[in-house]
Amino acid sequence: MIRELTSFFISIYAIIYIYQLSLLASGDFSSYDLFVRNPATIGFSIIALFFTLYHAVTWFSLMGRIQVVKLGPKKTATPLQAIAINLLLLLIIAYAIVYLFILR
Amino acid sequence: MDKVKKEYKSDKLHALLWGVFSVGGFIAAFLLPVLIYIDNIAYPLGLWPVANSSLIKIVFMVSLLSTIFVFITIGGSLFHGIFRFKTTLPELGLKRASSLISAVGYIIIAVGLIALAYYLFQLYHGFDPSLFHRII
Repeated sequence: MIRELTSFFISIYAIIYIYQLSLLASGDFSSYDLFVRNPATIGFSIIALFFTLYHAVTWFSLMGRIQVVKLGPKKTATPLQAIAINLLLLLIIAYAIVYLFILR
Repeated sequence: MDKVKKEYKSDKLHALLWGVFSVGGFIAAFLLPVLIYIDNIAYPLGLWPVANSSLIKIVFMVSLLSTIFVFITIGGSLFHGIFRFKTTLPELGLKRASSLISAVGYIIIAVGLIALAYYLFQLYHGFDPSLFHRII
């Protein structure tokens, strides 16, 4: 049930993000700044991040169950392997995005 | 024959929608966490990696690539989230209203995607970096 609940937070965050874009597009940058610095927005974002990461872990676990990988006579046994590998991939992708759009 | 054709078309659309839902799930899992962290947690709290960056970089609105990144991430997540939510609600005892829930869900997805594309297009074409510096 919590997995289904994650979709609620993901949807609301996406709608809030579109609202933030509308503030930027209208040229009202101080409103954008006030909105993102609002403690309620920050608090919701932290909760949304938690549920998004929960979604990621359950999604990776599902991948491990659906797509069992065979390596010679051996095959992946538990979704834990899929979760570990994909979490590593998630970290690499996150750093690549940070590097590409901010640090570079 | 017509009935079979209609069913085939309906099944094809059904499979396509679930396919997009699945892609949205991957996007929400791999790309959304970093976007939430940078734009709505790190920037307002002054954390790494945006502590010493300008607002222009933070909102990712500087290139075609970043605009596409935001569209894919937010659009895919919106589709995945609403699609899953609209499929869950009938299972929670709202079976009678499932058609209405479906219709409202698709309307939210369509309006959301159009609004997202519109604002990103506006930002990409009418972006004036000097306006940002006035408030920093």
